[in-house]
Amino acid sequence: MIRVQDVSKVYDGGTVAVRDVTLEILKGEFVFLVGPSGSGKSTLIRLMLRQELPTDGKIWVAGKLITELPGWKVPLLRRSIGTVFQDFKLLPSKTVFENVAFALEVIGRPRHVIRNQVPQVLNLVGLGTKADRLPNQLSGGEQQRVSIARAFVNRPLILLADEPTGNLDPATSVGIMRLLDRINRTGTTVVMATHDNAIVDAMRRRVVALERGRIVRDQSRGAYEPPVEGDL
Amino acid sequence: MRFQYLLEQAMINLRRNVLVVFSAVVAVFVMLTLVFGTIVLRWSIDQDIGRWDDNVRVIAFLSDDVSLEDVDAIQADIQQWEEVEAVVYFSKAEALVEFRELFADQQSLIDVVEEDPSVLPASLRIAPVQASDYSTITNRLFVIPGIREVSAADEAIDALVARSSRLRAFAFWIVIVLGAAAVVLIANTIRIAIFARRDELSIMKLVGAGNWFVRIPFFLEGITEGVLGAMLAVALVWGVRGSIAELFSTAIDPGALSVPAEFMIRQAMLVLGFGAGTGLLGSAFGMWGFLRD
Repeated sequence: MIRVQDVSKVYDGGTVAVRDVTLEILKGEFVFLVGPSGSGKSTLIRLMLRQELPTDGKIWVAGKLITELPGWKVPLLRRSIGTVFQDFKLLPSKTVFENVAFALEVIGRPRHVIRNQVPQVLNLVGLGTKADRLPNQLSGGEQQRVSIARAFVNRPLILLADEPTGNLDPATSVGIMRLLDRINRTGTTVVMATHDNAIVDAMRRRVVALERGRIVRDQSRGAYEPPVEGDL
Repeated sequence: MRFQYLLEQAMINLRRNVLVVFSAVVAVFVMLTLVFGTIVLRWSIDQDIGRWDDNVRVIAFLSDDVSLEDVDAIQADIQQWEEVEAVVYFSKAEALVEFRELFADQQSLIDVVEEDPSVLPASLRIAPVQASDYSTITNRLFVIPGIREVSAADEAIDALVARSSRLRAFAFWIVIVLGAAAVVLIANTIRIAIFARRDELSIMKLVGAGNWFVRIPFFLEGITEGVLGAMLAVALVWGVRGSIAELFSTAIDPGALSVPAEFMIRQAMLVLGFGAGTGLLGSAFGMWGFLRD
């Protein structure tokens, strides 16, 4: 589903964010990208979204070589990827319903599709009764559910989440993770960057650890910290 | 539904920054008022010069010793010049009739010419194709034997032609400067609109809105500003077109000089198109370097 091959990203000024990374993520996988701030997690996600181009290397997403994708095809790539961020990125003047509907409106989905799909996905994230609220009338966890609903309403193949629980307390985070897990079970590939070790340890999914832009560990059913010798 | 959606977005942009939009519309309005006003003014002046066209502009006075056959030959020759629209032979008798009419209240002058008919020679009266061609014709007439003297009503025409082209040059530069200002002001409104919606735009980009889907509302916004300014300019110039026509007219009754509606409509369409073009250009500049992924 996602293939990253020999990718490096050097920013103007010489900061090396990602160094020689090779990574393959299969359809339906749930992958944690872990590591300290500045280890390159977010850059890797931005590269997969083609918000940035790598300095070196190739990236395939959903069968397309996105590092050589012409600019006008980028929107089509993004339609197959849902994104969730730490800061939710909701529009404060739009209601919950409108925020989710917005993602369908701007890709030209007809109104009847919007009227049909938005309530469905709001029910899925548990906000069916709060469709008319504004974001600032919701708790942080609820706001993140809205943003997940927006990311998922178009049924993307891939969900990229950059620190989705970064602003939430542990109890709320568990709820969000359950939701992401549920979405993953529908067959959606989920890639989540995080440094929330409790969550990673609880979920026991594939863990890709980054340090100073390099992959230092790639472990299925892993924990946040590398296993100690003799520990199983 | 999609176009309606895009148009709605453009209208939201316009409402959000009424003041800046107002300044852009005013700039387009002033520029196009000048353009349209100049077009109408030029039409009036051309019309005025055209009036002279109907009249004879150059008169070639013939020597008394030229035979009628020679006059026919000279007339036929002049008729073939490409600057010449028409040549009319004006006999001594006709000249006398005209003189009597012109100086009817001065009997002493009429007495003089009736005593000595050689004072009023026969002539060829020449109408040029264009009023400004008179000098070429005059020069060519001088070298023809049998032509005693050449006279042309040149000064008034010269002044008008010069005024008309000076006016055009002046208007051209003013329009360039104002046009640039209008484009910059429209670009500015687009930037402000982009800035005001930056969160929305970044989400649109993230969820895969097409590039043109993102851009079209801003183009529509710019075009609306341009067309709005053009409509105001058209309305103003339409309202005062009579006064413009009178402004430079040398006609005896300027009120009779009305600009035809058909001409006005055609030019107004051009002005509206020009306004739309200005808006389009302004939006393109405003989006330059923005709205990339």
